[in-house]
Amino acid sequence: MKPVRALLVLAALALLAAVPWLGSDTLIQFGINTLLLAVLAQGWNIIGGYTGYASFGNSVFYGLGSYGVAIAMVQWHLPFAVGLVFGVGLGIVFACSLGVAVLRLRGHYFAIATLALAQVMTAIVSNIGLAGQNVGLVLPPLNNDRLFYELALGLLVLATLTVWGLTRSRFGFGLIAIRENEEGAAVMGIDTTLYKVLAFNLAGIFSALAGGIHAYWITFLDPESAFDISLNVKMIIMAVFGGPGTVLGPIVGAFSLSAISELLSSNVTSVAGLFFGAVIVAAIVLMPRGLADIVRNVPKTGWRYFRQNIRAHRL
Amino acid sequence: MDLLAQILANGLLLGGLYAVMALGLALVWGVLNIVNLAHGAFIMLGAYLSWYLYTDAGIDPFLGLPITAAVMFGVGYALQRGLLNLVVRAPMFNTLLITFGLEVILTYLAQLVFSADFRTINPPYAGDSWQLGPVTLPVARFFAFVVAIVLTIGMWLFLLHTQLGRAIRATAQNLIAARLYGVEPRHLYAMTFGIGLALASAAGGLYGTVSQVNPYIGASLTAKSFAISIIGGLDNPLGVLVGGLFLGVVEALTTLYIGPTFADVASLGVLLLVLVVKPSGLLGRTA
Repeated sequence: MKPVRALLVLAALALLAAVPWLGSDTLIQFGINTLLLAVLAQGWNIIGGYTGYASFGNSVFYGLGSYGVAIAMVQWHLPFAVGLVFGVGLGIVFACSLGVAVLRLRGHYFAIATLALAQVMTAIVSNIGLAGQNVGLVLPPLNNDRLFYELALGLLVLATLTVWGLTRSRFGFGLIAIRENEEGAAVMGIDTTLYKVLAFNLAGIFSALAGGIHAYWITFLDPESAFDISLNVKMIIMAVFGGPGTVLGPIVGAFSLSAISELLSSNVTSVAGLFFGAVIVAAIVLMPRGLADIVRNVPKTGWRYFRQNIRAHRL
Repeated sequence: MDLLAQILANGLLLGGLYAVMALGLALVWGVLNIVNLAHGAFIMLGAYLSWYLYTDAGIDPFLGLPITAAVMFGVGYALQRGLLNLVVRAPMFNTLLITFGLEVILTYLAQLVFSADFRTINPPYAGDSWQLGPVTLPVARFFAFVVAIVLTIGMWLFLLHTQLGRAIRATAQNLIAARLYGVEPRHLYAMTFGIGLALASAAGGLYGTVSQVNPYIGASLTAKSFAISIIGGLDNPLGVLVGGLFLGVVEALTTLYIGPTFADVASLGVLLLVLVVKPSGLLGRTA
């Protein structure tokens, strides 16, 4: 990375870290939400952006992370940190057991199978007594938004550093090879199953941690909100909007879309959802490779960039 | 034993409806290679159209089906021609996401226009039923089942014996070869998507007479349609019919023996099982 760019990133990070001491309560709460969404988008980036497996099941990890924390704290009276570890453990068990089966599928099949898994998990958890069934669990409150903000920021930094590390490691190159041509990658000696399961695990760990932090912050969770599929869609849209398969793209996508949707929903709630749909449609038609690709190409080609994108994919 | 017979009858009646739901999805998927995640939302729209036709104009939901189907065919043709044809050659993930975007838009529009209330189409015969030995057959459900069977078989004959049907099947097999034989793909894709939506709206009208409608039913209906397409395969409407009946019976049995909250788990569990054990579908080719 060029020194100027590194300095810019560090400055932005310092600014973000200072927000809890400068901004209002509303801004801090918006910040926690946005940072956690950015973590989810970054986690999805590992399996969806780099490995090319469009997972609709990452919200399962988020839900498992939430329930890990909630069960540990409410039912077993353990500290928060232990709950996080427990949640991550649940996520890893899920990724290894079901991931192996589901990751054999490709394309549409993988996407829908993970979507089905997410729905099945909601129904299963709402029938488990330990998890509070349909009613959900109420966690002990901890009114310290600054702490949650810094935790979320730290997690985002950790996720981003991991993705950055991927882009310069043998493992990361292996994932990109799988995305571009899975048979080719296997021929080159990549253990594709192992790589895919590891990527799924890695994505899952970050999502589970984000879920755990969110559960303790909100202090309440039920199966519907913990395994919410629209959350999974949000992380995909943010990653795709920003630029899947890039280090900073998902973060930029998460920040910009959250900001716009927050502005809209504070004025007109019902239009905020419509806006999300319209953004997806427009983004897929005009900029299928995300903001990151625009930044790279528009200075060179200008408005022709959008026309070229349409030309490349139309019938 | 009587209970089991009744449950099986319920499952079969529901399964016929499921088959019509999946028919449009399987057609569009097989020919255009687009998994239309907005399919369930279009079913929902069809249900609302039928509801308004019945409530405001007094048109019986079964007689209104051709009207809603024609309207939705137009919507589908325009949508494919104006929007989806722009991305149809993009990677599969992009087409998946764009139809998801449509699903979000339709759901929120429905919420704005129709409100979130539950609606049911209640024709005068809604409460009637026939007694067939130990089994009770609700009239509305039975009609819906008959229409579903007629539509499925009609679809099968249409694909086999009409010029448009042959063109659609040829395009599904090999786009380039079909083009060489004079098929204009932009028009044909739009026709196919239009037919897919017409079937979705018919399914919606039938659904509205046997169940409750609200703006949020779309996603789970898409998932069910997908499961049925996987089980039944994409190239034959009769396979879809078998898939629909199978899923209906599985759901009915699950509701009886395990519990109603597990009905959705059962259908999605079947889907996962099929995908993992035999990814090419239980009957025939799937993709």
